[in-house]
Parts: sequence; structure tokens; C-alpha cells
Amino acid sequence: MVDALLQAFTFKGVFWLVVSVLCYAIALMVNRKVKSHPLAHPLIITALLVGACLLGSETGVVAYQQHASLLHWLLGPVTVALALPIFRQWQKLKHYGWRLLLSITIGGLVAPVTAWASIYLLDAPIAIQLTMLAKSITTPLAMEATAHIGGIPALAAVFVIVTGVIGAVLSSSVFSVLRVSDRQAQGIALGTVAHAVGTAKALHMGDDVAAMATLGLCINGIFTAIILPLMFNAYFL
Amino acid sequence: MRQVSNYTVGAGLVFGAYYLGVFVAHYTSVPIPGSLVGLLALLGVLFAFPLLERHVASFAMAPLKHMSLLFVPAVLGVTLYWNDIVNNALALFVAIVVTTALSLGVTAWSAQWLLSKKENVDG
Repeated sequence: MVDALLQAFTFKGVFWLVVSVLCYAIALMVNRKVKSHPLAHPLIITALLVGACLLGSETGVVAYQQHASLLHWLLGPVTVALALPIFRQWQKLKHYGWRLLLSITIGGLVAPVTAWASIYLLDAPIAIQLTMLAKSITTPLAMEATAHIGGIPALAAVFVIVTGVIGAVLSSSVFSVLRVSDRQAQGIALGTVAHAVGTAKALHMGDDVAAMATLGLCINGIFTAIILPLMFNAYFL
Repeated sequence: MRQVSNYTVGAGLVFGAYYLGVFVAHYTSVPIPGSLVGLLALLGVLFAFPLLERHVASFAMAPLKHMSLLFVPAVLGVTLYWNDIVNNALALFVAIVVTTALSLGVTAWSAQWLLSKKENVDG
């Protein structure tokens, strides 16, 4: 944290933090204008705007990541704060019990296994295969889990975000094709498969959908992040 | 004043749990991410002292809501792996787009089936 804070108090640190926050504010406004279409996800707009600023000022991405390391560092504490939504949804979890857990387990298994299988069949390098295993869990957990099993954490972050955005964009069509009209089930799928981006989409669909998405996000994230490293330790030792 | 103290206590709990988690993950050989250990610790605190929910909420709601902003540096990292991505474009497309849609469908469909059984049992 010391490094991140020190960076934040240099001139460039403050400058890029302000730029990032301003771009995010613009992104929120645009997102509201287009009624929260998932393709206009604030993250995509913010990344494009900040990217444009980097190009315009001829600043490298690595330099930006260093200047704005406070943002990245905050992901850790914010992950811890996910305890709050889990605590608040505990009654729901107890109410649906194993049915809810089984639904989340199905998503938590199907997403990484099919992703890994397709990438294995198409002959991608092993580091990318390993990284893909963590694509459906929330970024900070995915990056740490990937580091433990020998994948590429930075690439994990990108896979995770793209997965989330794709999931959020496609969700409405997928649900209507398969005739999934149960809002709770939609929430579980969004949170389990499309993690935080899916949960953000669920928030716009209503509090009840978001509650289930949050449970999916947290429970799948926790179990995947615990099981992946354990599995690989057992396998390689 | 009350708000400020709630916020401070909440922030203390979240950061305290985070550092505890990082510490535990670092000094023991549990192969579990530190932030996850912190999450479980904070969850334990909330169950032990439910009244603290208000404090944690007054600190944590804003960062949770605006988590997207925190991903920006990581996402821009995509440019660093551009070659890897282009070289494996088809595999990545299938793995991310196709299987994500498939997994969403399978999960939502099975969740709907499982949860509807529950309603029937209750009703």
C-alpha cells in the first residue's frame, strides 16, 4: 500500500488519478443517457477514454498502471468489503439452501471447464489455458488465483472483464431464447458467470436480481479461488 | 459526527480484515488469496457482531458501487498482451464469447429449474 500511496501523491500520480476519475464520471453520464446498455458499460467507456488520454500524452500503459496503482491496490480492500453483501443476503442463502448452492456450483464448473476445453482443443499455450480457468470470477480473486497456478495475472484481468461484458451484453438474448423468466435464476447466472460486471447489469434489473447475482459472484469467487490453487498444489506436488 | 465515526470504524474494519488476510496468507502456507481470507474474516466479524453492519456499510457502499473504476488499470493491460491475443484470437473468441453464453444459459436454466422445485415444495 505504501508504494501505491506514495505514487498517488506524486504529480503524475494525482494527475492520472484525476484523469481516471473524470473519465469515469463522463462514462457514468453516457451510461445513464443510453439507459445502461451493457456495451456502454462504464468500465469500457472509462478504459477507452483513459486509453485515448494515454495516446494523446504519449504515456505508456505500464507507466499509467504505476501512476494509478492506488486504484488497482484498492481492489484488495474492496474485495474484502464483499463480505457485506454476502452478510445481507444470508437469509436468501438460507432460504434456498442447497438449491442455490447447486445452481452456483453448476455455473462455477461449466464456465471454466468449457472455456478451458475449447482453448485446449484449439491449441493455445498452457499459460493461457491456465489463465482461462479463472475467467468467471471477480478480478482481484482471479488475478491472485492465476498467480498461484502459473497463469498470467494481467491477462486474467482482461479475460475476466471481457467475459463479464460479453455475459452482460448477451444475457438478455440468452435468457429469452432459453425462456428463463425467473428473475432470481437470471441473477444467479449473471453473478456466477459474469461476476461483477454481470452483477452491475443485474443491479439495473432490480434489487432482487442483484441480490442473487451478488451471492453468485461471491460464492463462486470464493470457492474457485480456494479450489483452483489447492487442486494445482495436489497435482504438481 | 455520528456518520463520520461510523465511516471510520467501518474503514478500520475493512482495512483491518484486509491486512489480517494478507498477513495470514503470507505467513502461512495456505494457498488462498489474502483478500479472500480478509473477506471471510470480515464476514465472521459481521456474524459475531451484527450491529457493526451499519458501520461497514457506511464505508463500503460507495467503493462497492464504483468498483468498475478500480479495474481500469488492469483492463488497459490488454494492450501489453496484444500479440498473445492476436495469435490465439480464434481460441480466445470461442473460450470467452461462446462458452460464456453457453454457461450463462446452462446456469440460468438449471437455477430456474432448481428454484421452481423449491417454490413447489413450499407451496
